[in-house]
Amino acid sequence: MMNTSTEKFLEIRGLKKYFEAGRPSLFSRDTKHVHAVDGVSLTLRRSEVIALVGESGCGKSTLGLLLMGLEDPTEGTVIFEEQDITHLNDHQRKDLRRKIQMVFQDPYESLNPTQTIEEIVTEPLIVHGMGASQQEREERVKKAMEDAGLKPAEVYLSRYPHELSGGQRQRVVIAAALVLEPEIIIADEPVSMLDVSIRAEVINLLAELRISRQIAVIFITHDLGSVGFFADRVAVMYLGRIVEIGTMLEVLEKPQHPYTKALLSVIPVPNPRLRHERIILQGETPNPINIPTGCRFHPRCPVAIDACKLSDPAMTQLSKSHQAACLLVTNK
Amino acid sequence: MQITTSPTPAVPSRPASGLLSFWRSFSRSRTGLIGFWMLVIAIFVAVFAPLLAPYERGASTSVQIDDIYQPPSSAHWFGTDDAGQDVLTNFIYGARVSLTVGFFAAFISIVIGGVFGLVAGFFGGRWENFLMRFTDIMLVIPDLPLTVVIVALTKPSLWNIIFVIGILGWTTTARVVRSQTLAVKSRKFVLRARAIGASKFHILVQHILPLVLPILVVQAVLAISLAILNESTLSFIGLGDPSAPSWGQMLNFAFGRGAMSVGAWWALVVPGFGIVWVVLSLTLLGQGLEQVLNPRLDTHHLMAGRPVVQKEAGAKPIQSDVLLEVQNLSIHYVGEGKAPARAVENISFTLREGELIGLVGESGCGKTTLMLALLKLLPSAGQIANGKVFYNGNDLTVMDEEEINKIRWSNISIVFQGAMNALNPVRTVGEQIGEAILKHEPSFPKDKLNARVSELLELVGIASDHREHFPHQYSGGMRQRAMIAMALACNPKVIIADEPTTALDVMIQAQILELLDTLRKKLGLAVIFVTHDLGVVAELCDKVLVMYGGVTAEYAEVDVIYNEPKHPYTQELLKAFPDLTKPKKKLSSIPGYPPRLDNLPAGCRFAPRCPAAFERCHTDEPALHAPQKDHIVGCHLAEASK
Repeated sequence: MMNTSTEKFLEIRGLKKYFEAGRPSLFSRDTKHVHAVDGVSLTLRRSEVIALVGESGCGKSTLGLLLMGLEDPTEGTVIFEEQDITHLNDHQRKDLRRKIQMVFQDPYESLNPTQTIEEIVTEPLIVHGMGASQQEREERVKKAMEDAGLKPAEVYLSRYPHELSGGQRQRVVIAAALVLEPEIIIADEPVSMLDVSIRAEVINLLAELRISRQIAVIFITHDLGSVGFFADRVAVMYLGRIVEIGTMLEVLEKPQHPYTKALLSVIPVPNPRLRHERIILQGETPNPINIPTGCRFHPRCPVAIDACKLSDPAMTQLSKSHQAACLLVTNK
Repeated sequence: MQITTSPTPAVPSRPASGLLSFWRSFSRSRTGLIGFWMLVIAIFVAVFAPLLAPYERGASTSVQIDDIYQPPSSAHWFGTDDAGQDVLTNFIYGARVSLTVGFFAAFISIVIGGVFGLVAGFFGGRWENFLMRFTDIMLVIPDLPLTVVIVALTKPSLWNIIFVIGILGWTTTARVVRSQTLAVKSRKFVLRARAIGASKFHILVQHILPLVLPILVVQAVLAISLAILNESTLSFIGLGDPSAPSWGQMLNFAFGRGAMSVGAWWALVVPGFGIVWVVLSLTLLGQGLEQVLNPRLDTHHLMAGRPVVQKEAGAKPIQSDVLLEVQNLSIHYVGEGKAPARAVENISFTLREGELIGLVGESGCGKTTLMLALLKLLPSAGQIANGKVFYNGNDLTVMDEEEINKIRWSNISIVFQGAMNALNPVRTVGEQIGEAILKHEPSFPKDKLNARVSELLELVGIASDHREHFPHQYSGGMRQRAMIAMALACNPKVIIADEPTTALDVMIQAQILELLDTLRKKLGLAVIFVTHDLGVVAELCDKVLVMYGGVTAEYAEVDVIYNEPKHPYTQELLKAFPDLTKPKKKLSSIPGYPPRLDNLPAGCRFAPRCPAAFERCHTDEPALHAPQKDHIVGCHLAEASK
C-alpha cells in the first residue's frame, strides 16, 4: 500500500457541473444554467491533505458531491487509481464508495435519529458485506470508534445521536467513514457547526488519521484560518473555478490573488493588539447563473483594471507548486 | 443487500425502555389517555362478548308480539328490538363486527397507502407521476357511492365489505406518507447513506421507513375510525352482511321497522352510542399519538411563561452613566420532581452608552438563557432565582408584563440566532419591518412608514428599492441585515445580538461586524454581542465576559482578556485558535465536553477539563476574585495571585 507520495492517485481534469435553472421566459428557447463548477482541474496525491476554500456558492460543495458520484458531471473527467470514474452507475461505484468517504457539515442532520451509534457505525460494513462474522464486525466498529476518539467505544454503542454533543456526533460520522478503511475522506465543512473549542479537536483528529491510516483528505471550508497547520496544499475557489492554488505556506504567507488576500484579511485574529487593515469585499458572490465577463472576480475586486473586464485570466505558474489566475500576477 | 442481518431500526436496541419512555410521554396527553382507555373498553367488550352478553346471540326470548320493542326493564336492560331480541346482547356482539371491519379494512388501506406514498416519494419521476395521478383520480371519485355500487354488485359478505372499504380508503394515507417521505429523503443522513454505498432498498427500509412510521401509526388510527363509520353507513342503507349484525345494521333494522313510530328510542340510541364511543376514542387516541410522535406540534415549551421572581431588597444601581447593569443574576430551570438546573449563576456586568461587550461561551453555557432573562422572555420553567437587571436605574426583574413590554424592542431589542430564517416568506421585507414599527409604536403616522422603512434599510446597507422584495430574493447576509434593521426600528438604546454571524461565511461575517461597529458609533448604540468565537469579538468589543457552564469564568477589558488572561479556560480557548502567524503550529484543544446543567460537577464547573486543576477545585466552588480593578476571575488560582 505504501506508494510514493508523488503518485497522482486522484486526478480531476476540466470538471464542470451546470444545473438547469429554468428558462428566462416561457417563449425563450435557451435554458439558463447555474455554473456551479466551471472547469476545475486538480490532482490529489496519496495521503495528501488539500483544503478547498471559498465562500458559499463558489461550488466547493458541488465539487465534493461530484467526486463522490452523488452528482453527475456535465463535462470533464475524474480518474482514480488509473480508472476513469467520471460516469459510473451506483452498481459500478460500489467498491469506490468504500474507498472514498464523505463527512458532512452538519453532524446534527447527518445521523439518523432513530439509529443507535452502534447501528450507525455498523451499517457501512453491512452495506458492503464486510466482516466475516458478527464478532469481527464488532471489533472493526470498536476500532473505528476508538480511532475517531470515542473511547471507550462501549460507552457510546447503545446511545442515540441526540444524547451526544456536537463534537461527539461528528466523531461518530468520522467513525462510520473510517470503518470502511477508506483511502480518501472528503470533509465538507466538518467543523463549521461546532464550537471553537471543539473545532481544533476534530481537525487534529483528521490530521492524525492522515498520518496513522495514510488517508488523503479533501477539506472543504469557507474559513482559511482553520486549514493552517494540517493542509499540505490550499486551493481557493471563486464562482466555480480555482483562482489560486499552492502549498499551504505559499497561499497563507504569500497570497497572490486579490481574492485570497481579502479572504485572509478578514480572518478574525484573537488579539485586539493585532487589529489590522481588513479588505472587506462589498456585496456577495454573484449569482452563478450570470458569470461576469472577463475575470469573474472583477466586479468585487479592489484592484481591478479595465483589462479585467475583457479577458478571463489563465493560471499563471508562480513556482513549481503555486499558481494564480489574475492578470496582475506575473511570474517574477 | 444484507439487510437481513441487521435489527429492525424502528425498534431501538433497548425496546423495553423505548416503549416505556414512549408510554411515559404519551400518558402526559390527557386526550390520548382517555381515547386509549375508551378503546381498551370497546376491545374488551368485543373480545369477551360471549361472557358479557346476558342472552345468546340471535336468540329471541319469544316470538310474541308483546316482546317486540319492550322498553328497558330488569330482564332487558336496554329493551328489545323489532325481532324481540335483547338490544344489549346485539350491541355487545355488534362491537365485534364493527371493530373487525375497522381493524382489517384500515390494515388494507394503510398497507396500500403506505407503499404508494413511500414509492412515489422516494423514487420520484415516473413512479411518482403515475401513482399520484392515480391517487388524484381516486380522490375525485366520491367514496360512498362507489362503495355502494361495488358492495351491491358483489355479495354483501363481511369480508367483501372489509375489502371494499380497505381498497377505497388509502388515498389520504398515500398523500401524507409521500410528503413525509419527501421531507425525510432530503435530510443529510440519507445523502450520507448514499455516500456509503447503500442500495435504494436499504435506504428505504433503514432510514426512511423508521421516520415515516410515526405518521403511519397516526394515519392508521384515523383509518380505523373512518372504516367503522363507512361500515355503519353501508349497513344502515341495508348493504351489511346479514349474518354478522353490526351497529349499523341494528340502526337499519330499528329505523326500517318502525322503532321511531312506536317510540322505541333505545333501539336507535344504543347502537348509535357504540359508534360514537369507538369513533370518539379513536379520534382522541389519534390526537394523543400525534402529539407524542410529531414533535412539530410540541410547542408548549416555547411559550413565554412568567418567571417567578424572588424579590429581594437591597441592591441599587451604582453608577449613573451606566445604561444596563446586571447584578448577581442567577437563573434556574425547574422541573417537577427534579432539582433545579442552575443554568446561570451570579453573573454581573455593566454596559455604558456606545459600549460593545462580548459575551463568549460554548453552546449550552447559558449565554442565550442570560440574554432571554434580561428581557424576561424565559420559557416558563426558567426562573430568575436571584439578582437584578437595572436599565436606566429601573429594575427589570420586578416589572410586570405591561411595563417590560414598553422596554422590549423600544429600548432593548434582540437579533436572535438564526433569525434571518425567521422572516415570513410570503410578505415583503419592507412590510415586515413596517409591521415591527407599528406593533411597538401604534401611533406612528402611516404616510411616513415607507420613508422610515427605507431609512432603516439604508442604515444597514441595503438599497431602499429592495424594500418591495421578498425574503427569498435576499441573500443570507442581506436577510441578517434586514433583521438588524428590524431590531433598530424603534430606536433602541441597547441591541442584543445572539450569534448574529454564526451561519455566515467569513466575508459576510466581516461585513456584519463592520456594520454593527458603524451603527454603534453613529447611533451611540450599546451592543451585547453573544458568540462562541473569541476571535470574532477581539476586533471590536470593549469588554469581554467569558462564561463557562453558566458561571463567570472571566470578565475584563478586551486587552486584558487576550493578553493577560487569568482563567485557565480563557487561556485554553485562546490556544485552540488557529494562529495565522504560525500556521505550522498544532492546534490545542480542550479535552472533554462542557458540563450538562442538570448534572454539574461538584466544585469548579471547569475542573474536569482544567489542566491546572488541583484538589480544592473538585470540592469547592470558586468565588469571584478581582486580581485588579475591572478584572473578575472565577478561579481558585486567582485568589492566590491576589
